[in-house]
Amino acid sequence: MPDQVLQLRGVRKRFGDLEVLKGIDLEVAKGEVVCILGPSGSGKSTMLRCVNLLEPPEEGEILLEGQDICRGPGSGTGEQSWNLDFVRQRVGMVFQQFNLFPHKTALQNVTLAPEKVLGRSAAEARERGTALLERVGLGDKLAQYPERLSGGQQQRVAIARALAMDPHVMLFDEVTSALDPELVKEVLDTMRELAEEGMTMMVVTHEIGFAREVADRVVFMDGGVIVEQGKPADVLEHPREERTQKFLGLVLDR
Amino acid sequence: MSQFFNQYFNFDVMREHFGEVLVGFLQNLLVFAVAAVLALALGLFLALLRQLPGKKLMPIRFLTIAYIDFFRAVPILIIILMISGGVPFLSFLPQEVRIPHWFGRPDPFWYGVAALVIVYGAFSAEVYRAGIEAVPRGQMEAARSLGMSHFQAMRHVVVPQGVTKIPAPMLNELISLLKDTTLVSVIALSESVLVSREVLSERLNSSSLTLTAIFFVIIILPLARVVDKLIARQQLKVTRGSHIEVA
Amino acid sequence: MSRTRLAALLAVFLVAISAVAVAGCGGSDSTTGEGTSAGGGGEPLTVGSDIPYPPFEQGKSGSYTGFDIELMEAIGEKIGRTPEFQDTSFETIFRDVAQGKFEAVISAATITEEREKEVAFSDPYYLSEQAILVKEGSGVGGIEDLEGKTVAAQQGTTGLELGKEKANAGELRPYPEGPDAINALKAGTVEAVIIDQPVAQNAVEEEGGVEISESVPTEETYGIALAKDNTELLKEINEGLSEVISDGTYKTIYEKWFHKEPPKQFLG
Repeated sequence: MPDQVLQLRGVRKRFGDLEVLKGIDLEVAKGEVVCILGPSGSGKSTMLRCVNLLEPPEEGEILLEGQDICRGPGSGTGEQSWNLDFVRQRVGMVFQQFNLFPHKTALQNVTLAPEKVLGRSAAEARERGTALLERVGLGDKLAQYPERLSGGQQQRVAIARALAMDPHVMLFDEVTSALDPELVKEVLDTMRELAEEGMTMMVVTHEIGFAREVADRVVFMDGGVIVEQGKPADVLEHPREERTQKFLGLVLDR
Repeated sequence: MSQFFNQYFNFDVMREHFGEVLVGFLQNLLVFAVAAVLALALGLFLALLRQLPGKKLMPIRFLTIAYIDFFRAVPILIIILMISGGVPFLSFLPQEVRIPHWFGRPDPFWYGVAALVIVYGAFSAEVYRAGIEAVPRGQMEAARSLGMSHFQAMRHVVVPQGVTKIPAPMLNELISLLKDTTLVSVIALSESVLVSREVLSERLNSSSLTLTAIFFVIIILPLARVVDKLIARQQLKVTRGSHIEVA
Repeated sequence: MSRTRLAALLAVFLVAISAVAVAGCGGSDSTTGEGTSAGGGGEPLTVGSDIPYPPFEQGKSGSYTGFDIELMEAIGEKIGRTPEFQDTSFETIFRDVAQGKFEAVISAATITEEREKEVAFSDPYYLSEQAILVKEGSGVGGIEDLEGKTVAAQQGTTGLELGKEKANAGELRPYPEGPDAINALKAGTVEAVIIDQPVAQNAVEEEGGVEISESVPTEETYGIALAKDNTELLKEINEGLSEVISDGTYKTIYEKWFHKEPPKQFLG
């Protein structure tokens, strides 16, 4: 279907002897917000990292806008630069540990990749970058270094930085798990706005409330497979599978 | 006891030969300056080679690691003697390379520099590596996720952060290099140790060697203090907010 | 204790043990009586020498040979002592014998005023010349021709002194060992070597590729060096030397190593 931005088929990934993804089938439509829940070790992060080829899968297909990014031209020989460029300029990622560049200001963090990778002029990059940082509410922090920003502020810079590359899909890997509780809201609010603007998002998270309110679809993973998925109301209120029930029971404290 | 004092601290001997020992010491400094610049460059080159990613480039990484391991292990004296004993006989090299007299410096100078660069290139490569590897992996991942190539990520994100960890250990290597310039005396470069030994056999007195030692101490002690201060300062630095330790 | 730490400690321990063992068993340079064939069978006599310096002293520990070695052994036989040779660096050899590191030094050592301030010398046992050694066919001439050239000599020798005084060399390079200077000549990194005539001759005959461009008579003589206060031993050695000369042993040894008759003063 032309509407599918992402299609994962039979994706398997192992680390040494340990098989972390045991055959993942998943589709994400344009503009869809998919929240992925599950216990640690379920493979949620690994799946995200396969999508932007930080961890190339052993088996399976990943179609990004119809192109198989696991087997493009020059496949089978180490790093496939065609694929990587294609993927990483369409897929943005925000990390649990922020990974801001400490030797650069907030604005420089946002403008670095557009300048060096997309070849934008310094002025253009700065203009766009400023707009993005204002959009995430940090217009007054352009010249600050990450060490002077709170965790929540840093994460919002990270979001702006990823957005600066005009991605078609945004991946969020437990982006609030490392934050102090009072800083979580500002990041989730930013993500909510992004979703409302129609960004296609895959969000690995523990924030059930966010999933319930913002997600179009909730996916529950455990032991390297997708156990069940569906509308948030369905999966979260009336989980069909026992494993889902157990997990939600623990998380929601029922 | 006074015999000891006379043998090592005869000020007359020191005074009379001060000039020639000083000139010799300047040779040490010159060897050091040339070798240091080249070794630092070679080390960075090797360190970057070693970081090249991908299965295809494995042979390059392997060779680089082999070079570094080998030349960290072999004593410099052996390398110096092998170069000076062997290179002049390599008939396929042109005369100016076999017996170099570049910039007016005699061939032992260049054999010595070559040996020191070969070995200290390996040592400094390891210092660079430690600096680069101290940069959290997440930095590379973030840069790559933003679409930067490996080279761009190294150049703009990893290496600039890596270099801050480098000065203290690198300075230690350089101090070591300065002392090791004395090894070139064994192939008859007129540096301070050789000159001192000449004085020793002439005057039957070791005070010239003491004088040489003093020269080295005067130069190196302040540098060693700088290293100590750099290390202390780094310990105090708070982790910057680029990443958070996840329990 | 973690396994890594244990392994590291073990490694250090093993290295230390082996070092002690090797040092104890036989790392010393002195020949403990073996290989010094001729010998009075008497008390050992410690003798320092800078080995190798062919044809005066050469060979491996335990089987040293050379003119100096055999002469010393012959003298030893006359005075009832067995020489034990210690390889030692030439530049400190006089200081060492003055301080008692060994009892005597025979090492192609020229008797000079400067040296006589620190040590005592026996009667002369050899009349020496310096030679300019050059690469065969290089066309480099004698001492005057050395102007502006790169010249080598051994550290602390009279050859080096001669170079400083007479040759207006572009660079005068002192090597720790005589053979190093000759190797440098063969490698082409120096253009001439100033060294004792017999050593140069030996290089011409044994190694080839080099020739003597000039012999510079210097009226220098070699002597056996002893600590100044060792007058008793000095007397004995001079007597021994005298006997060796008068009974023709000297002539035999001389002809063996230098392939010619010794000068008149050393004929019996």
